[in-house]
Amino acid sequence: MSSKMNNYVRKNLPAGLSKWGFILLGVGLVMAVIAYNNNPLRASFASLIGFMFLLSIGLGSLFLVALEYLAGATWSVPFIRIAEILSTLVIIAPILAIPVLLNMHDMYEWTNKAVVDASHALTQKKAYLDINFFYIRFVSIISLLGLFYYIFTKNSLKQDITGDQKLTTFNVKLSALFMPVFAIGLSLLAIDFMMSLEPKWFSTIYGVYYFAGSFWVAIALITLFAVNFNEKGLLGTGINKDHYYSLGALMFAFTAFWTYIAFSQFMLIWYANLPEETFWFIPRMTGGWGVISIGLIVTHFVVPFFMLIQRPSKTNPSRLKLVATMVLAFHIYDLYWLIYPTYSRIQSVKQNDASLISSPFFGWIEISYIILALGILLTVFSFVGKGKNLIPIGDPKLKRAMDFHL
Amino acid sequence: MSTIDYSVEERLVHGDRSLKQIDDAIVNPLDAKPNIKYILALGLTVTMLMIGAASLGWTFYKGIGVWGNNNPVGWAFDIVNFVFWIGIGHAGTLISAILFLFRQRWRNGIARFAEAMTIFAVMTALIFPIIHTGRPWVAAVYLLPYPNQHSVWVNFISPLLWDVFAVSTYFTVSFIFWYIGLIPDFATMRDRTTSKIKKVIFSVLSLGWRFSNRHWQHYEMLYLILAGLSTPLVLSVHTVVSFDFAVSVIPGWHTTIFPPYFVAGAIFSGFAMVQNALIVIRKIFEIEDLIPLKTLETMNKIILVTGTMVGYAYGMEFFIAWYSGNQLETFTFINRAFGPYAWAYWIMVSCNVLSPQFFWFKKLRTSIPFMFVIAVFVNVGMWFERFVIIVTSLSRDYLPSSWAYYRPTMFDFGLLIGSFGLFFTLVLLFAKNLPAISIAEIKSVSEGAQPSHHGESNHSANGTHGDGHNG
Amino acid sequence: MDKKLYSVAATFGNADDIILATGKIASAGYTNYDVNTPYPIHGMDDAMRLKPSKIGYFTITFGLTGTALILWLMYWVTTTDYPQVIGGKPFFALPAFIPITFEATVLLAAVGSALSLFIYFFKFPNNSHPLHDTEYMKSCSSDKYGIYVEAKDPLFDEVRIKALMHECGAENVYDVNYEEDFLTAKFEIFDKKFIGALIVLAIIVSASTYLHLNKLLYMTPFNWMMDQPKVSAQQKSTFFADGFGMRTPVEGTVARGNMPYAYKGQPDEAGKYLTNPLQNNDKNLALGKAKFLTFCSPCHGNTGMGDSRLNGQFPNGPTLHSDKVTNWPDGNLYHVITEGQNVMPGYFRQVTKDERWAIVLYLRTLQRALNAKEGDLK
Repeated sequence: MSSKMNNYVRKNLPAGLSKWGFILLGVGLVMAVIAYNNNPLRASFASLIGFMFLLSIGLGSLFLVALEYLAGATWSVPFIRIAEILSTLVIIAPILAIPVLLNMHDMYEWTNKAVVDASHALTQKKAYLDINFFYIRFVSIISLLGLFYYIFTKNSLKQDITGDQKLTTFNVKLSALFMPVFAIGLSLLAIDFMMSLEPKWFSTIYGVYYFAGSFWVAIALITLFAVNFNEKGLLGTGINKDHYYSLGALMFAFTAFWTYIAFSQFMLIWYANLPEETFWFIPRMTGGWGVISIGLIVTHFVVPFFMLIQRPSKTNPSRLKLVATMVLAFHIYDLYWLIYPTYSRIQSVKQNDASLISSPFFGWIEISYIILALGILLTVFSFVGKGKNLIPIGDPKLKRAMDFHL
Repeated sequence: MSTIDYSVEERLVHGDRSLKQIDDAIVNPLDAKPNIKYILALGLTVTMLMIGAASLGWTFYKGIGVWGNNNPVGWAFDIVNFVFWIGIGHAGTLISAILFLFRQRWRNGIARFAEAMTIFAVMTALIFPIIHTGRPWVAAVYLLPYPNQHSVWVNFISPLLWDVFAVSTYFTVSFIFWYIGLIPDFATMRDRTTSKIKKVIFSVLSLGWRFSNRHWQHYEMLYLILAGLSTPLVLSVHTVVSFDFAVSVIPGWHTTIFPPYFVAGAIFSGFAMVQNALIVIRKIFEIEDLIPLKTLETMNKIILVTGTMVGYAYGMEFFIAWYSGNQLETFTFINRAFGPYAWAYWIMVSCNVLSPQFFWFKKLRTSIPFMFVIAVFVNVGMWFERFVIIVTSLSRDYLPSSWAYYRPTMFDFGLLIGSFGLFFTLVLLFAKNLPAISIAEIKSVSEGAQPSHHGESNHSANGTHGDGHNG
Repeated sequence: MDKKLYSVAATFGNADDIILATGKIASAGYTNYDVNTPYPIHGMDDAMRLKPSKIGYFTITFGLTGTALILWLMYWVTTTDYPQVIGGKPFFALPAFIPITFEATVLLAAVGSALSLFIYFFKFPNNSHPLHDTEYMKSCSSDKYGIYVEAKDPLFDEVRIKALMHECGAENVYDVNYEEDFLTAKFEIFDKKFIGALIVLAIIVSASTYLHLNKLLYMTPFNWMMDQPKVSAQQKSTFFADGFGMRTPVEGTVARGNMPYAYKGQPDEAGKYLTNPLQNNDKNLALGKAKFLTFCSPCHGNTGMGDSRLNGQFPNGPTLHSDKVTNWPDGNLYHVITEGQNVMPGYFRQVTKDERWAIVLYLRTLQRALNAKEGDLK
């Protein structure tokens, strides 16, 4: 049973993609190395942002791939190849975790035995926050997700040639298996790398929070690529405005979803006012961090929400590209807000200056790792995407998907 | 085993009916004399309703002291039932609004029915917090922010008041959504009926609908807007219900995952209830081809997904209770699983997390008796989930000297039975008197209903012309 | 009676035909035409060249109005009209107001846009439209796709339109006329039936309001807990043999905060063992003065000279400046205030323990003021 689409002509990826990828990668790498030599601790925190950023794109894209199979969605088929390429980041992102792993002792309080022994709360969770167990979790989750990534994409590429529908059936089953692994894996990665920066703090919604941001940024990036490629005629016969609308609507929905999750987390802790939880929010609500927090509401919610709320703006390609680019920046902003107050705390302890706890640090070190992350992103895309069909021409749903109308 | 062909869309309506026959299939049973199956079903539900009414009358007369609620368990069956029924309502909005936004066309056959269930479930739910106040005829007024000569206002900072706003908004918006969907069908029935009285009734209800395309255009836009408004609304309602618990400092109540966890649970139990009711209704009214097995199977998949999400929340709660290093949290969860209410906890886990796992198998997922039983389990499990959350946390909180074991009385059970009676009585009356399947929506997805070419406009992505096609 | 033509209408058997016919009618330049289909047809809005619906603007206006109104209400109530500290939260506790703000926004947006759909866009309810109850309408509400052109259209030409319809493959072509009563009907506000209905409604409303406020609210269990299974003060009890509802406390019962007086009937003992626990300061003297003027002065006079305005009408209160009283120890004075002596009643019910001691303090000051010795001047 073959329903291959035969009129697709493979075109090369735009040359600018790999060119810019290499430039950013080169500049980022040089700056990152200088930054690391200059201030290894701060560079590691910056690198953690880069790692979590690339990881969220990879996880979000992989989730979209699995979701499409599981839900039997048709509209997303034309850009599922883009998502597949982006999900390579799941296995590439850990490169940026290397500085973090090298500096764990300074970044994560719970690696310090004296601190742990002095605190009842930390002694309690010694079994989980254990450096060896941390490595085991990290390696096994990444390799498990990498395995799923490998099988999904292998089947999808194979289908380009054979058009065999059994491969879809297989991937549907695989995606059912994938979902629980994904949910647990993503939550644990978020807890391990970000929540445990403040090891005494805990929030059950943390995994969902990171997921909301991840899927949001993945959709944005897929939108950015899909719109650009479509305008350059790389997506076969082209996708129509109903596809655009769906992408825009999903981005809009996840803007609201993230806000909902973030608000729930904040409101419950603010309302109950228990000291073992509020200490995480208090530095973020005072001084310079207070301004950053207000900015988070504006950037992560107000701006994208009102830029996408109107129906026509969800189908307007230039609007979509603009919002998607902003979403990338805003997601980094969110990660910065999650991670960096810990750096401020460490600095305030080191320099014995209590006011530092509420003052944000941002400079060329952070920028260099963001540039590096973007460089990795573009390079990986151009490298992995090279020579591939940008739409899954063997996918049996493709024809329906190209004709998709709301 | 046959392989699935992904290249073609699955048929949504079976039976190859013409548009006229769709009218007949949906409207004729409403005009016909009720069959014996219907009478029996109604008799059963009305009996249950009467049990509830008697319990409620006695409660009013003697006061709520006749319930099992007592220190320290001040919230028990009443609030459990409230949260349970509100949760049931969520599936309706999910089907009618969220699946509409996602263009899941299989929903068309069941959307109307699910919306009606939402309305009835919210009505049933609303009874409980109001009677829980003890003097509902007074409380109903004091719950609203109205200007009065005492200059006393409601407490806007209390999550219980947020509930009042959330649930009443939810009811109003769901009702509007449902009614707007019914208008074209009322008009169809108006034009079909030969009875003079019905003609007057349907004329009034249809407001003079003329099927004009100039109206359809605004109508569809409004439908889309209402779906867009209902989607965050439905999330907000169970979120606010979860706030009732989560903003407090009771161990086991105060945890940040409650909002999405409650919403997932609500959709989970709601789908199970809709699935149960649909199986009964399609049997009684013999409309198996309008609500095909495929629809039920898709619902079972959603039950599986949401059940697994609920399982994730159970796990995460347990993990964080331990991870927090907070003794009270840790104790609460150990106490849930191994304390005096362990029986309720394990009923909850086995019904909610384990029983839906059978739906991994296509054979079980498509067997009507089997899925019916599983959905009943899910509802039992979800009822117990609320019971576990509310009662175990209250029965053993900070002060061990005031710990106590809660026992419901016969009036508690009477009200629980009565709530099912009320809900299913309303469902049965609705299904017999109003079109339980949206005539217009079913027509629009039937074979050959839409033009073979999508108009003359071109749908290129960069086209600026035309904003139609709202589905 | 002449029939007045409302429109020429035609029905088609399938969706493709109606799209085609609509396209032709639209391109022929007609403006007063409409399509009636049992369900919305994809592409029809384009075929009719309709502009996108503007109802979204109504939604956003109503929604933002809801946001503003509820925020203003909550702000005014919690900070201005009745500020209260609740749970240690600030008066204007914005995070706690978000849920209600959201709900009110959605409520107003949904209700407002639904109402504007019916009232502004549709001009509903409208059951007197000429199309109602026609063969044409009945087929369109079931399985046919209809189109009609109104007679008031400037380009209206019955013959041409009918020809066009047939050309497109119309199954049926109809003339839709205004109904006779529609044209002749007059709107009368003082219609007998209408007035009658108003009267009936008024009677029902007032009767039910009366019954509710005067009868229902005084019936069990709606009567604000008037009937309670407990014995009120002064009520007869059927339970106790003596029939009293009120019970004397068990012997030896001590009320909270009240120590029983230990020197009942023993003034000398009191004088010996009791000492004034209060300090001689302005506050206690002021209290003593106030209580003295309230309770003591009516008989003993404002300065304790036994010269009160009741002199002669009542057994005279003795002077408090006699040697006997001056030489009494504080405890004796306290005892007399508490228990009374001769015709003077005890004041322990009216004057608390501390107040009695304050009176003693004040009295000592009075005595000293009136019998000042040389040494006091220092």
